[in-house]
Amino acid sequence: MDLNFSKEDLEFRDEVREFLDKEYPKHIKEKMNNGDELSREEVVEWHKAVAKKGWMGHSWPVEHGGTGWDATKVYIYLRELALAGCPTFVPFGLQMVAPVIWTFGSEEQKKKFLPRILNFDDWWCQGYSEPGSGSDLASLKCKAVREGDEYVLNGQKTWTTLGQHADWIFVLVRTDDSGKKQEGITFILVDMKTPGIEVKPIITLDGDHEVNEVWFDNVRVPAENVVGEEGQGWTYAKFLLFHERSSIAGAPNMRRVLNSLKIRAKNTYHTDKPLSEDKNFQSKVAQFELDLDALEMTELRGLAAMREGKSPGAESSLLKIKGTELQQRLSTIAVEMAGHEGMPYGGPYGFSDVEVAATKSDQLSAPKYLNFRKVTIYGGTNEIQKNIIAKAVLGI
Amino acid sequence: MNLSFTDEQNLLRDSVSKFCGSDYDFETRMKSVNSDSGHNPEHWKLFAELGWLAIPFSEDLGGLDGGDVDLSLMFEEFGKSIVVEPYLANVVLSGGVLKRSDLEEKTDLIEHLITGEKQISLANYEPQKGFNLDNVDCEISEDGSVNGLKTTVLNAPNADFFLVFGKHQAGHAFALVSKDAAGSKVTSYKTYDGFVSGDLHLENCKADAVFSKSDALDVLHQAILEGIICVSSEAIGAMETCYKLTIEYTQQREQFGQSLSKFQALQHRMVDMFMETEFSKSFLLKVLATDDENERTKLIYGLKNQIAKAGKYVGEEAVQLHGGMGVTEEMSVGHYLKRLLVITNLFGNSDYFLDKYIES
Repeated sequence: MDLNFSKEDLEFRDEVREFLDKEYPKHIKEKMNNGDELSREEVVEWHKAVAKKGWMGHSWPVEHGGTGWDATKVYIYLRELALAGCPTFVPFGLQMVAPVIWTFGSEEQKKKFLPRILNFDDWWCQGYSEPGSGSDLASLKCKAVREGDEYVLNGQKTWTTLGQHADWIFVLVRTDDSGKKQEGITFILVDMKTPGIEVKPIITLDGDHEVNEVWFDNVRVPAENVVGEEGQGWTYAKFLLFHERSSIAGAPNMRRVLNSLKIRAKNTYHTDKPLSEDKNFQSKVAQFELDLDALEMTELRGLAAMREGKSPGAESSLLKIKGTELQQRLSTIAVEMAGHEGMPYGGPYGFSDVEVAATKSDQLSAPKYLNFRKVTIYGGTNEIQKNIIAKAVLGI
Repeated sequence: MNLSFTDEQNLLRDSVSKFCGSDYDFETRMKSVNSDSGHNPEHWKLFAELGWLAIPFSEDLGGLDGGDVDLSLMFEEFGKSIVVEPYLANVVLSGGVLKRSDLEEKTDLIEHLITGEKQISLANYEPQKGFNLDNVDCEISEDGSVNGLKTTVLNAPNADFFLVFGKHQAGHAFALVSKDAAGSKVTSYKTYDGFVSGDLHLENCKADAVFSKSDALDVLHQAILEGIICVSSEAIGAMETCYKLTIEYTQQREQFGQSLSKFQALQHRMVDMFMETEFSKSFLLKVLATDDENERTKLIYGLKNQIAKAGKYVGEEAVQLHGGMGVTEEMSVGHYLKRLLVITNLFGNSDYFLDKYIES
């Protein structure tokens, strides 16, 4: 057992740094550092830059265009990206639908979709939750009826992240409601340009438009877009959720945010001395760092297991719970640190184009905190994750 | 020992509660929030007519001689509906400074506050100066010239006058600054709880008066302490609504073939929210029932420490148990969390007041 990087690992790290130095678009870097929102084009531009380098498939098998890196390299790579403050990858294609396609999809589907995902030619989004089916996802009602070579979709999906930008959506639909609710679910890939699809924005507490309702009104989808077998969608859906959860934790990104908070604390005053010298603040930060270390090692254990060919299982729920709790704790430290200066608000009922005295980072702390209320809810609430651990890991 | 309220106090609570119940549903609130002034002027007029704006002033100032208990009752009711009308900024903070001040014109100004004709904002906090009240750079010269920058001036866009706290000769003083005074400029904004606020820039600004030169810091401190009691009471009201909304939602929402409220893990979470609310109420009562001034001050610091933790906790749990719906702008529960988060940080957060408690 060894936590040190080998000479080769360090060379690889330098290679990643060199890539970021040269190929991470400067205007995107500047926006990210300022906490500004990226446009769709800029998100695509970033992904394309990575794709050009051939590094999009860091978690993909070599046969589908993956990098074939070992766990250490994947870790180094993601860590360097996070520490440089790069945008996180849009996960719906790359980390979610792609593993489902290469594991359960047809050869035609692999050929058609995987290269385009790897090159970020298509932006994917997720059609899982419905208004009446959240934690109890298997109770979903969005209906698909087979008519000749097509399925006709009717119903509604919700919480579709960045659906307003998407080219494709993977959807769980009900093709049979005669048996158990887990049976009769089908996993289908739908072109967002198909007539009958409507995307309606949902505004969240931070004032942002990130999630959407997606409505299907007699949407006709070729039968060849069904992944695997009709009625087996629930198996694929669960497989995908394990992948989603194992990619949610994001320890390196938190490390970067924490470091920047620590620097800002040197110039932040709640009393006459800087916050960085305040015992309460110091102990909060220290506690957080300890928990982050433990999370990071747990992530590494997961990565190592994946490289040995073990598919991420119920253990990924651990990462989801702890990772999201820490994300929320970090955003709380930031918003409390900002104090009064975290209060000016640029959201829907807030101001715009007004120069306020508070710094940008302080102003962004509350929207971030509010935005992060979602993380313990999405991808299966943390309460559901605990049920999964109890059942599948502890066997109770 | 007597922990019950007087008949007058119960009447006051009923009247505020009735207003909130009949005139203040969530849609009405959001209409006010989305307006430029951030509140409903008709409501403000009604508050004046009902005598609510006169409560914490003595009779010789034209008030109703009410005290902290009366304010606390009102604010608890306000909190249940997260009322955005600027009572805290005008009556509690500015009124609190004025009534304790030696300003000659204070009777007139308080009369205008009570009738609702004029609005007044307290301007004491500054960027990167933290929560210690004496930590200000703003300077008030002997001839009444004011220089400085004030932030989080609550209700600033609606203010006709500002009470600016600053350094003066050897100590501190207040300057009465009219909104139209040359050299003053307000940058208006909303805070994320939907309230209006602003930065006040003062450059060689001529004050109408300089007052309370001998005891300005103490006057400010007393007004802020009263403010803490009010926002703590408001938080308790908001917490109560949070757990009630959550119970209601989990009873309606069905997953896995039954209401969410049937799941024991979630029941315990709601019990915890309820308990935090009740213990916060108890602590508030302890403050209200304590007469000794030093002891009371220390307990107010303790109260803010408790509320800053409990309010945020209950608000966060309420959102979590509402699931995805909880994080949407269209559901009221998230707006309770936003207000609770502002209250957590207003005047100083839990860490800050824990230290104040230990030091005093």
